[in-house]
Amino acid sequence: MKRVLLALVACVLWGATGKAAEPPIKIGAIFAVTGPASFLGAPEAKTAQMLTDQLNAGGGLLGCPVQLILKDSSGSPEKAVSFAKQLIEEERVLAIIGPSTSGETLLIKPICEEAGMLLLSCAAAESIVNPVARFVFKTPQKDSQAAIWIFKTMRDKGITRIGVLSDNSGFGKAGKEQLETLAPEHAIEIVANEIYDKDATDLTDILTKVKGQNVQAIVNWSIVPAQSIVAKNMRQLGFNVPLFQSHGFGNIRYVQQAGRAAEGILFPAGRLLVVHELPDDHPQKNVLMAYKKDYESRYGEEVSTFGGHAYDAMMLVAEAVRRAQSTDRDKVRDALENLTGCVGTAGIFNFSATDHNGLGLDAFEMITVQDGQFRLYRP
Amino acid sequence: MTGPSCRQALTPFFLAALLITGAQLAATAAHREFYLTQLILCAYYACVVLGLTFLVGYAGQISLAHGAFFAIGGYATAVLTTTPLRNSTEPWVAWLERAHWLARRPGLYGGEILTVSPWAAFLAGLLVACLAAVLIGLPALRLRGHYLAMATLGFGLIVYRLLLGSAFAGAADGITGVPPLRLGGWLEISGRASVRVRNYYFAWGFALLTLALLRNLLVSRIGLALRAIHDNESAAQAMGVPIGRVKLQAFVLSAAIAAAAGSLLTHTNGGLGPSEASAMKSVRYVALVAAGGMASLWGALAVSSILNFFSLRGWFGTLDHAVFGALLIAIVAFAPGGFGFIWRGVGLQRRLFRPRKKRLDDDPRNP
Repeated sequence: MKRVLLALVACVLWGATGKAAEPPIKIGAIFAVTGPASFLGAPEAKTAQMLTDQLNAGGGLLGCPVQLILKDSSGSPEKAVSFAKQLIEEERVLAIIGPSTSGETLLIKPICEEAGMLLLSCAAAESIVNPVARFVFKTPQKDSQAAIWIFKTMRDKGITRIGVLSDNSGFGKAGKEQLETLAPEHAIEIVANEIYDKDATDLTDILTKVKGQNVQAIVNWSIVPAQSIVAKNMRQLGFNVPLFQSHGFGNIRYVQQAGRAAEGILFPAGRLLVVHELPDDHPQKNVLMAYKKDYESRYGEEVSTFGGHAYDAMMLVAEAVRRAQSTDRDKVRDALENLTGCVGTAGIFNFSATDHNGLGLDAFEMITVQDGQFRLYRP
Repeated sequence: MTGPSCRQALTPFFLAALLITGAQLAATAAHREFYLTQLILCAYYACVVLGLTFLVGYAGQISLAHGAFFAIGGYATAVLTTTPLRNSTEPWVAWLERAHWLARRPGLYGGEILTVSPWAAFLAGLLVACLAAVLIGLPALRLRGHYLAMATLGFGLIVYRLLLGSAFAGAADGITGVPPLRLGGWLEISGRASVRVRNYYFAWGFALLTLALLRNLLVSRIGLALRAIHDNESAAQAMGVPIGRVKLQAFVLSAAIAAAAGSLLTHTNGGLGPSEASAMKSVRYVALVAAGGMASLWGALAVSSILNFFSLRGWFGTLDHAVFGALLIAIVAFAPGGFGFIWRGVGLQRRLFRPRKKRLDDDPRNP
């Protein structure tokens, strides 16, 4: 009897451990959690962790638990390379999400392509998906689309002469290039084009120079904290022309830093920031509301569009695995490339063999600042 | 050198070679060859730290620009080997090609691209770094005290800003797509897994060669002059040591080693970004020199390899910068001799058979 009981117990234990030992689906993440790009990497890492926990709470993917392997590159390309190789060779992850910055992504793009590793970048540069690499995708909207939105709004307001300010980060550089390329076809003339240091604390000198050029509007393309400083300095100088910012303005903290001077700023961004204004039947409403509520209740800070890029990357991997009904990387890649109508925070993704970004112009809305809040811009 | 002291000098090299070979064999046997990826990078970073140890520990001059010199070497390689000289029919291009300074390779999108050859780019990086070192060193090293530290801090920041602001250096994105450096038919310096073991031995061979070169320099006339300067500048001058020239030579050599390592690492990674030139990187090198025992080449090699290995594998997570900053503070505050005490503990042979010296660097035969 004792022996039978023991055998039974052994069987139960065997069964239990057998089930728990289901191999996890490993997803690698490389984010700049610390360092100069931490305003991108920190919310991205938090979002990825949150989504992993949510997936596991819901029974995992295809019945397997999901394991997130998070690496902090602090924005250094040499670390991103080392981590990418680790994730590919040692961890043998299904996919890598990140890195946060374009420089890191461009360095590991050939490594992932050669190894056949699925990469879903959270960085903005167009060159990540153009030319298309079979295994490399990206989730943020394109800079060119932001520039087009800005120029369209300008045309509606009858603006033709503008001044462009950009910082010397990768983000500023890429934006400036897009603005310069796209201005002629929208019949907009850039009469002043200034670059400043990304850590600048005062931009009065540059703005005074631009003010003398008789411009009808200013476009500022930068990251923290210069976005708030431009607005403040313009107000101090009595420089009363519309101020357009890039989609990098998508964090309420910049509005708070600029105070009254932020009123009336215009910028294109995903709908995450104005989710409360969306009609209930908007396809993105549920996804955005859920992400905002979960993130803010878990981390006690306001959601930003950057974390949304990591949300989309994780969500897309999960969706592709479900569609492929497999964790075979090639099958998942094929499923991802054929995904259409997939609702994310940045917009609705429609991938194809020639488009590994999958977002159209409609992924953006024009947003303005009113009474210290983000509001949909209605001309 | 006489027999016993020669044997004593070679023992650590044998041990190091054994350790390096053993690590590779163990990694391969355990199907964990991927550890070599980070060890290769560690070897190149260790070269920078070795060069800096020579300067800080023996010449007594602190440089906060070694990140910048590393970046100069790396960027010279990256810029020159990725900028196509498009169908240029200029006479100077033809002349350069005749002199075998240019290389053709198939382009990523078809066609053939003509760039400066990796070897020429490597030499250009060395040349630029040496020139820059001479230009900063000439005025700064004529002064006493920590003027070199200040001048190099300024220089490092300037290089970082220039790289961030230059379109040809890829600004904040850095440069990608650097081709491999070919060394004969069987070895190419690149990040490919198929040539990893060869690259591993090359990288560590390069590090040991650097160490041997510096070690031999230290027991030469220049080394003795450097130690004299380190101990007492006035006394050294009174004895006829040309202080300015010797310090400058040490500084330029140290910068050249950093640039060479930067170039090789850029080939290994296939590119680099401006973060290599940041002040944090330079401070990290100084911290590693201090942790290695300030004036111990073997200590610097060991400590920098171990800590960089952990850092590159992401062990310190988000605390990476904090670990190296705290290390520097802790070493300066509590253990000015660095981790050298462990190293000296390991030197059993010396301990058992020789009367112990107070400091390792007091013994001219054993730097």
